[in-house]
Amino acid sequence: MTTYHLRVNGRDHAVDTDPDTPLLYVLRNDLQMNGAKFGCGLGQCGACTVTMGGDAVMSCLVPVSVVGSRDVGTVEGLGTAGKPGMLQQAFIDEQAAQCGYCIAGMMMRAQSLLAKNPKPTDAEITKHMMPNLCRCGTHMRILRAVRRASNAMANQPAGAKA
Amino acid sequence: MNRAARKRRSRRRSVVLALLVLVLLAAWAIMWRPAIDPQAQAPAFDAATVERGRNLAAVGTCAACHTVDPTRPFAGGRALATPFGTVYSTNITPDARTGIGGWSEAAFTRALREGVSRDGRLLYPAFPYDHYTRLAQDDIRAMYAYFMTRPALDAPAPPNDMRFPFGFRPLVAFWNILYLKREPWRPDPKQNAEWNRGAYLADVLSHCGACHTPRTKLGGTDFDRTLDGGEAEGWYVPALNAKSPSPVPWTREHLAAYLRTGIAPDHAAAGGPMQAVVENLRLADPKDVEAMATYIHSFLAQAPGRQARASQPGGMPAPQPDDPDLARMRTGYEVYAGACARCHDTGREETSGAALQLQKAVALYDPDPRSLVHIVRQGISPPDGEPARWMPAFGDILTHDQTTALVAYLRRYGAGQPQWEHLDDQVRKAEQQP
Amino acid sequence: MTGGVASPGRRRLLAAGGSLTLAFAIGAMRPAWTQDETPLNKGKMPGSLEKEPWLDAWIRIDADNRVTVFTGKAELGQGIKTALLQVAAEELQLPPGRIQLVTADTARTPNEGYTAGSHSMQDSGTALRYAAAQVHGILAGMAAKRFDVVPATLTARDGAFQAADGRRVTYGELLAGRQLHVQADPAIKPRDPASHTVAGKTLARIDIPAKVTGGVAYVQDLRLPGMVHGRVVRPPAPGARLVEVDVAGVTRLPGVLKVVRDGRFLAVIADGEYRAVKAAAALARAARWEVQPTLPANADPAAVVRALPTQPTTILDRGTPGSAGRTLTASYTKPFQLHASIGPSCAVAQLVDKQYTVWTHSQGVYPLQGALAELLGVDKAAIRCIHTEGSGCYGHNAADDVAADAALLARAFPGRPVRVQWMREDEHGWEPFGPAMLTRVSATLDGLGKIANWQYDVWSPPHNTRPGKAGNLLAATHLEQPFVPDTPKPSPQPEGSGDRNAIPLYAIPNARVVHQFQPGAPLRTSALRSLGAYCNVFSIESFMDELAHAAGADPVAFRLRHLIDPRAVEVVRAAAKRFGWDNYRKTPRRGRGFAFARYKNLAAYCAIALEVEVARETGMVRVTRAVAAVDCGEVVNPDGVRNQIEGGIIQSSSWTLLERVRFDQQQVLTRDWAGYPILRFNQVPEKLEVELIDRPGQPFLGTGEASQGPTGAAIANAVFDACGLRLRDLPLDRARLRAGR
Repeated sequence: MTTYHLRVNGRDHAVDTDPDTPLLYVLRNDLQMNGAKFGCGLGQCGACTVTMGGDAVMSCLVPVSVVGSRDVGTVEGLGTAGKPGMLQQAFIDEQAAQCGYCIAGMMMRAQSLLAKNPKPTDAEITKHMMPNLCRCGTHMRILRAVRRASNAMANQPAGAKA
Repeated sequence: MNRAARKRRSRRRSVVLALLVLVLLAAWAIMWRPAIDPQAQAPAFDAATVERGRNLAAVGTCAACHTVDPTRPFAGGRALATPFGTVYSTNITPDARTGIGGWSEAAFTRALREGVSRDGRLLYPAFPYDHYTRLAQDDIRAMYAYFMTRPALDAPAPPNDMRFPFGFRPLVAFWNILYLKREPWRPDPKQNAEWNRGAYLADVLSHCGACHTPRTKLGGTDFDRTLDGGEAEGWYVPALNAKSPSPVPWTREHLAAYLRTGIAPDHAAAGGPMQAVVENLRLADPKDVEAMATYIHSFLAQAPGRQARASQPGGMPAPQPDDPDLARMRTGYEVYAGACARCHDTGREETSGAALQLQKAVALYDPDPRSLVHIVRQGISPPDGEPARWMPAFGDILTHDQTTALVAYLRRYGAGQPQWEHLDDQVRKAEQQP
Repeated sequence: MTGGVASPGRRRLLAAGGSLTLAFAIGAMRPAWTQDETPLNKGKMPGSLEKEPWLDAWIRIDADNRVTVFTGKAELGQGIKTALLQVAAEELQLPPGRIQLVTADTARTPNEGYTAGSHSMQDSGTALRYAAAQVHGILAGMAAKRFDVVPATLTARDGAFQAADGRRVTYGELLAGRQLHVQADPAIKPRDPASHTVAGKTLARIDIPAKVTGGVAYVQDLRLPGMVHGRVVRPPAPGARLVEVDVAGVTRLPGVLKVVRDGRFLAVIADGEYRAVKAAAALARAARWEVQPTLPANADPAAVVRALPTQPTTILDRGTPGSAGRTLTASYTKPFQLHASIGPSCAVAQLVDKQYTVWTHSQGVYPLQGALAELLGVDKAAIRCIHTEGSGCYGHNAADDVAADAALLARAFPGRPVRVQWMREDEHGWEPFGPAMLTRVSATLDGLGKIANWQYDVWSPPHNTRPGKAGNLLAATHLEQPFVPDTPKPSPQPEGSGDRNAIPLYAIPNARVVHQFQPGAPLRTSALRSLGAYCNVFSIESFMDELAHAAGADPVAFRLRHLIDPRAVEVVRAAAKRFGWDNYRKTPRRGRGFAFARYKNLAAYCAIALEVEVARETGMVRVTRAVAAVDCGEVVNPDGVRNQIEGGIIQSSSWTLLERVRFDQQQVLTRDWAGYPILRFNQVPEKLEVELIDRPGQPFLGTGEASQGPTGAAIANAVFDACGLRLRDLPLDRARLRAGR
C-alpha cells in the first residue's frame, strides 16, 4: 500500500492503495465516484473513459502509480444533476441514453475532443468516438449530443467550460 | 590573347556548350516518358483470371497502401512517410477521372515494370515497381483484370508533400538508372518448386525486401545486404536471415501462422506496418503463403539459437538492488507491473490470443527501441469489425519518462541485452512519429 | 406465475410501514376505500390487475400527500419507469415529479413475473392506467361528498381537489393515512386520450440526469456499509472437472477474507475490489482442471442444429398442400449470439439474521426469489430480491447467475454485503446465448404471382431457460451436489419462443408451419431480445423478397398483395413513402431493402426500408440510411418509442453484420470485444428516421423488440439489391461478403 496524491476534477485527494490498482477502481472505490464504469477491464469498450492531462484514456488500463500530477477529469467534474454542464445538458436534451451505462465514458471521450477542437466536423466526431462501444444502439443520439454541445460551446464566450 | 588562342577558346566554349546541350538532351531523354493514349473501354475478362488477379493483389498487399477506408477499397489516399517527403497513394479503381479508368494493359504494365504512369509522369519508388518489374506478364494481366473490374470510385489523390528537390518527378529517372533492374525473375534450380514459388511471391510481389532489406542513402535496395533488416514508416524492421534478432527461433509453421493470421502463438504478434501486410495475406491462397514461409524460413533458419529468458508466468524480475540505473529501473518495473503484467505476465485468459510474454518479444532485441516504443504507444488493433488480436494503446497513458523507464527495464530485464544508446533521445524521436 | 394475494412478507412490510389497511363494513354503507376480501370480479381484468387486483398494491397515498406507485416491472434502460410514471400521473392528475415509482421488489411490489417480451406497457401500463383511474374516481367521490358537491364540479390539481368555491382538500387528507384496499373494477373508464396532458407527450426520462452526472444509478454503483468484494473463478470450459486447487497461497494474499470451494464452484472474497480481481487470477492459476471436449467438432450453426433431437409441433395447418405453380425453397441460419451487455452482470447480497437481501438486475425478481430459495434450501420468505438497474440486458443474460453467486458468497460470509461483479470474459463465456437456429421455407407462386402454398419449418434450441428452478442458475450446476437444469419447454403460440413470428402475417390460403423444438443444445441458450422472431422474420422477409423477385414484382408491392390487416398496410406504405421507395435511383455498390413484421403477430407493427453500401473486396457493408414506420397502438412517450426502435435497428444491424459466438471442441473462444466485435460508430447509418403512427385509445402494443427481425431481413435484401448476392446465413460478416456465400 502506498499513498498517492491525485487531482480529480480540480480537487486534491490522498488515496492509500496498491501501486498496480487501476485508476478505475480508485475512482469508484476509494473516491466513491460513479461516472467511470467497469465494462471490460481490457481497454476495449471505453465505459471507463476519463480524461488525464486532457487526453481521453481508459482508466481500467491506468495503474494509479503512473497518474502523477496529471489532472483527472470525470463526468462529475462537468456539472451536477441540479446544474448540468453544457455537454451534459446536450445529452439530456437529445435524450442520448437507453440503459445509459456507456454514456459517462462517451461524454469524457467527447470532452477530450471538444476541449482541443471546439468545432469538429461530423467525420471528426465519428472517428474520435470510435474507441467507445454502445450496445443499446444509442449512437445516433450520442453523435447528435456531441454536435449539440459543440454548437452550444461555439455560442459561448471564450474560456467557458464544457 | 592572339587570334589562335581566341579561336581555340571559342571552339572550347562551343564544345562545352555542345556537350552541355548533349547532356541536357540526354537528361531530358532519360527523364521524359510519353503518355499512352487512354482507351475507351477495358476488354472483358473471364472470372478465373479475375480471381487469379485478386489473389495476386492480396499477395502483393496492394490494399495496404491503396485502401485507407475499408468501405472504399483501392481508393488510395494513404500517407507514406519517406526520407524524401510524404507520398500519398493513388486511386487504382477504374474511375476515368481520378483512377486508372482508361488505362490499357500496356499502361498498367509500364507502371508496374517501369514506374511510369499512363500520362508519362514518373511514379515515386514508394510504389515498389523495382520489385514488381520482375512480374510475369500473365500475372500482370491477371491483376489488370482484377483492378479493371472493381467498382469505380471518385477519389482524387491528395497532393504529395515532398522535400526539395524531390518534388520534381523526372529526377526519379536517375534513381531508376541506379536501382531499377529490369532483368526477369529466374527460379533457383537448386531449390524445389515450393521454395521457388515462395521466392517469386516474396521477392517480386510481396516485396518483403522493400522493408526487410536496408536501403542506400538514395533509397535504393542494398542487394549486398538482402533481408538484413531495415526501417519503414518510423519502425525498425527486423532482419529475416542469420541476423534475425528473434529470441525464439522461428519454425516454418510459426512463420506461416504469423503471415496468415498475424499471430505465431507464444512467439510474435504482427504490429505496426505488418498488420496491414497480414490483413492482405490472409486473403491470399494459403498455399501461396505457405510457400512464402518456406522461402523466408530458409534464411531465418540460419539464425543462431538464443536462449529466451525464463518463460514461466511471473518471470519478469524486480530490478537488482545494485543496478547502476536503479531509480529508472524501479520506475520501469512499476509501470510494467501495473500496466503490462496483467496481460503479458500473469496469464490472461485465452481470448483473442493471450498476450506474449515479453522475454520473447522481438522488439526487445532490436538494435534500437523504435518498434517497442511504437507498439507500447499505439497498441495493436483488429481490422474494422473483424475478430483478431488486440493490444490497447498506452500513448496517452504513459509520460515520456515512464515510457523511457519501461523500455529501459524491458531491455535489461526482459531481453538481458545492453542498454540502447541515447535512449531518451531515441524514445523522444519515436514519440514524435505520428 | 401465481398472483392475486400479496405475499405474506409483503403484507408484513406494508403493515410495518405504518399505513393501516381498513377492511370493515358499516352496515350497508361501506366506506369507499374498503371492500371485503372476496374477489369481486371473476372476469378479465386489464393487464396485471388480473394477477394483482388490489388497488393499494399499486398506489399508496400517505397522509402527507406523498404518492407512491408500485410496479412489478423493472427499468432495463427501455424507459419504462418514465412511461409508467406518465400513465399513472395522467390518471391521478398529478405532475409526474410528485410521484415516486417503486419497481420490482419482492417485498413491496406486485408480482408481474418477468420484465420481458415487450409486455411492460401491455401488462403494467394497462394495470396502472385502470388502477390510477379508479383511485382518482374514488378520491373524487370522497371529495365531492366532503364538500357536498357533484364530482364533475371539482378540479384536480397538484394532488388536491378544489371545489368551485375555492375549498380544497388533498388526496392525503382525504385518506388520512388509510389505503384503498379495494379491488379493481374493470368497468372503470380511464381518461379520454384527447384530454391527455402527460401521457402521449414526450417526458424527459427521469433516470437520465443521474446517469450523465455520475449519480448512483446502477447496481454496480451500490456501496453498502461493510461491503466486501467477491469474484468467481469459472471452469476453463463447460466440460471441465476441478482436479485440485491449492487455496493456501491465495488465502494469504493481501485483503483476502475467504476462499470458497464447493465442487467446481470456486470463489474468493476480499476487502477491496481490485484485490479480489487479483486474488481470483491467482486462484485460477492455483487450480488444475481436466478438460474434456464436450462441444461439437463442426461449429457451423446448421450442422449444430441439425444434430439435435427435435420435438416437432405443427403450429399452423391451413388449407391443403400441393398447389400448382412455381415452387421456391430456401434455408436460412443464425449462429449463437451474445447479449453482450456493456456492463457485465453484477449483484450484491447480504445474509443477516437468516434473511437474505439481494440487489439484482434480474428481469424477474419473483422467479429469482424462488430459484434462490431452492438453491439455498430456505423459505422464499427468507429472501428479498430488489431490482436495481444494471446495464441493458436484452433478455436473459447473466443477471440471475451473478445473483446466485452473490447469494452463495453471502451465505459463506454472513453479515456483510458481498458484491460480485462478473468480468468481461465471464460474461462473454458463460451468459446464456441466443441459440443457433435453422429455418426452411418452401412456397408456391400461382399464375397471378400470389403465394398459393407455404411450408415453413424452424429448428431451434430453447429460448427460455430462466430461473424458475435453481438448476437454471449457473453456480448451482457447479456445486458438489449440483442442481440439474430444468427441462426446457417451448412457449405456446401466439407468443412462441423459437417459433415466435414463425407464422407469417400474410394472407396465404394454404400454409403449414412446424416448430421443431429442440430441448437440448451443446451450449446454454435462453431468451435474447425478440427470441425466435429475429431469425424467423429474417427468413420470412428474405424469402418474401426472393418470391417477389421470382414473380417479377416490386418487393413492397408484393407484400401489399398479401396483407389484409389495414394497420400492417399502413406501416408498410408509410415506411416505403418516407424512404422514397418508388423514386429510388440505384447507384453502383448501393441497394435498397424492405422488411415488415408485426411482433408476435399481436404486438407492434414495424416496417423498415433501408439502403446499404457494399464493398465486396473488403466485405464491408454499411447502412447508409434507414426509415422505420411503427404502429404500437396508443403512444405514451413518443421519444421513448423512437429510442427503442432506433436502438433495435442499430443493435440488430450489429447482430446481422458482425456477431457470432465461436467455439472449438473444448470451449467458447469469443471472450472479449476483440474476439466478438460489435458495431462501432463508423458503421451506423448517416440517417435514421422513425415514423410513429399514434392510435390514441387503442391498447398499448409491445414495441421494444419490434425492429430486430425486420432490420436483419431489410439488410439482407438490400445487399442482394446492391450486389446480387443472396446471403441466407447470418451474420453477413466481412468474411462472408468477401467469399460471396
